[in-house]
Amino acid sequence: MTREVLIVGGGLGAQRAAETLRRRGHDGPIRMLCAEPVAPYDRPPLSKQVLREGGEHERVALRPAAWYAEHDVDLLLGLPAVGLDLGRRRVLTVGGDAPAADAVLIATGAQARRLPVLSPFANVHTLRSLADAQALRGAIAPGRRLAVVGAGFIGQEVAATARGLGAEVTLIEAMAQPLEHVVGARLGAWFARLHRAHGVEVLLGDAVASAHGNGSVQRLRLAGGREVDVDAVVVGVGVQPAAGWLRGTPLGDGPIAVDARGRTAVPGVFAAGDVAAAPGRDGRRERCEHWESAARGAVAAAHGILGLDPPPAAVPAFWSDLYDSRVQLVGRAADAEAVTVEGDQESPAFVASFTRSGRPVAALLVNRAAELPHRRRLLAGDSDPPSTEGGLAA
Amino acid sequence: MTIVARIDEHACSAHGDCADLAPDVFRVDEVAVVIGSAPPELLLEVAQGCPAVAISVVDDENGVVLYP
Repeated sequence: MTREVLIVGGGLGAQRAAETLRRRGHDGPIRMLCAEPVAPYDRPPLSKQVLREGGEHERVALRPAAWYAEHDVDLLLGLPAVGLDLGRRRVLTVGGDAPAADAVLIATGAQARRLPVLSPFANVHTLRSLADAQALRGAIAPGRRLAVVGAGFIGQEVAATARGLGAEVTLIEAMAQPLEHVVGARLGAWFARLHRAHGVEVLLGDAVASAHGNGSVQRLRLAGGREVDVDAVVVGVGVQPAAGWLRGTPLGDGPIAVDARGRTAVPGVFAAGDVAAAPGRDGRRERCEHWESAARGAVAAAHGILGLDPPPAAVPAFWSDLYDSRVQLVGRAADAEAVTVEGDQESPAFVASFTRSGRPVAALLVNRAAELPHRRRLLAGDSDPPSTEGGLAA
Repeated sequence: MTIVARIDEHACSAHGDCADLAPDVFRVDEVAVVIGSAPPELLLEVAQGCPAVAISVVDDENGVVLYP
């Protein structure tokens, strides 16, 4: 019988897990061990509204401060987990052991990858936390030169927001097109054109070879020989699971494999969100960094903790806001063999359908948000029935 | 049996998927609001499709949570 639950992490997954436990009637203690000094908050606004308009924690908090007392959820703030003693099922923090628990949910998320060539410099930013966003906001102003390294969604959102604030933005991407590995070259080129149309310099198929400056970077030299003068740099080259604190345990240092109930290979230890690799609708296990996946994975793990059947796995989806465009991707475009654009790809709104063996596997929607639920329904109906188990041996 | 949908207004991000799938049941202003009823199957489908996991489906007579 699960009585005491310890949630390690303080993001969306941690929050949704706590909510689901309470909603499903769990009345034992719930403790949330948060590395950051603040209660769980929403990260998508960090690269958009918070960069644009600033914002204190209350503005992005997932729940009002009073929620935690009302729901008897004990927040342990500013305490990064540094180790896990599986024998005693104890999480170690810098301040000592966290309280013992019958179930431990690992929801520590991910951390931004860094580029060693840029690490020594003060004016190099990554964007993952509220503190990161507040620091980066101070570096963006009209006429200031900002280089964004990496044209993934975070890099593109930062480039778009900074450009909207009047910064001179250079976007540098190693692949031939932005997001080529996700949506293919043809649609990736649409993203490059979007940025160029807004006055961003987009440099493709190139990478930072060296950085020059005294304490702060002043100039980047790219592998192709090009030089870029900068006032600040943002690195958006992906994330890695925040599981270094688990090194040496049977869980490894991530991603942590879980089943459809969020169970890891260790009894009583669960994982969800960016740190975990969970089975999708077809049973294939993968780490998915989508906001929505963190929420759903946490709901599933809360069910697992309580011994309940989890909701069926969902078709993955995420969204991004770039300038005035809402971009949504539903399904797994990387599985596709063919892509068809419905409507005019040069128009402000279009849908691209990705297919494999004639069956739809994904859709990219640009300014066609109302179609998303229908596309999700189509994709759900066209794949195999969701498995509710997805055992770890699979 | 009275199965109803409820919106968690702090979790709702106003994506609008619910109103697109079931316009007679949901309307989205600042956040989604429930304006009607529908068969439990549709309520469950819409709730499971909510990207923010902001819709719960509840048996109003005994408070039993069906989703999430």
